[in-house]
Amino acid sequence: MRQSGSAIELKQLPRLSLMARKMIRVLLVEDEKIHRVVARAAAKAAGVNDDYVLDEAENGAAAVQRVREAAAPYDLILMDKQMPVLDGHEATRRIRAMGVTTPVVAVSSDVLPADVEAFISAGADDFTPKPLSKEKLGNILAKFGLA
Amino acid sequence: MAAAALREQLNALLSSMFSQGLVDEQFQQLQMLQDEGGTPGFVAEVVTLFCDDAERIIAEIATLLEQPIVNFDKVDAYVHQLKGSSASVGAQKVKFTCMQFRQLCQEKSRDGCLMALAVVRNDFYDLRNKFQTMLQLEQQILAYDPKQQ
Repeated sequence: MRQSGSAIELKQLPRLSLMARKMIRVLLVEDEKIHRVVARAAAKAAGVNDDYVLDEAENGAAAVQRVREAAAPYDLILMDKQMPVLDGHEATRRIRAMGVTTPVVAVSSDVLPADVEAFISAGADDFTPKPLSKEKLGNILAKFGLA
Repeated sequence: MAAAALREQLNALLSSMFSQGLVDEQFQQLQMLQDEGGTPGFVAEVVTLFCDDAERIIAEIATLLEQPIVNFDKVDAYVHQLKGSSASVGAQKVKFTCMQFRQLCQEKSRDGCLMALAVVRNDFYDLRNKFQTMLQLEQQILAYDPKQQ
């Protein structure tokens, strides 16, 4: 492509940007290694590794920092509930307080209606019980238009 | 021949683990994730993580229940963690025992919790032995047929 800014070259730019696929960025917030390992495998099986970037944070405080310092906004946040330093409820509240509208999906083995409601009240958009699976992730990605 | 016999042994072991309710569909999911993802050693990694976590958590719970005043919230948090790990690996029996254990934590019953701890320890050791046998058989089969790696 020529360097000068002629009208012809500028018309080529929108076509080129459409051709470049946007990488979907997913943040997994989970303190326990076993759940991260299973989630990674489920994400890979669901196609999260091809056009997706999967970042991880080991507690709510690290997640808030990641979101705050991210060069580009995350497209999806998968949030555990019980974590050291800062739990999932509070992390979700703080992310929302920053004005971040990224879909937050709570991932927890506490599945009573009160548990789900507590997460939604904190600002989560959806809830899925642990463990994550290829199917659950696929449904989540489809629900938020990321598939 | 020997490899076929080992595979038969492994299949019989897995079959009995399912029929006895030791593991559930989640364990099958892990095997599928391993096969579909082309990640040999994935199931072994998850099983090992579960066994290490469970060993540690059971020891922590035992220590908490020995205290003159039991912090049932801490015990419950550990049982919750063990329940989660069990669910991730498909350890159905341990998971169900944990669900009952949590109920006893809510009731703040030390005797009840001690009995539940004994049951969960027993269930875990039984499962761990079978997982260890499973992993040994898989290693032996791989030794005969490295192409499976």
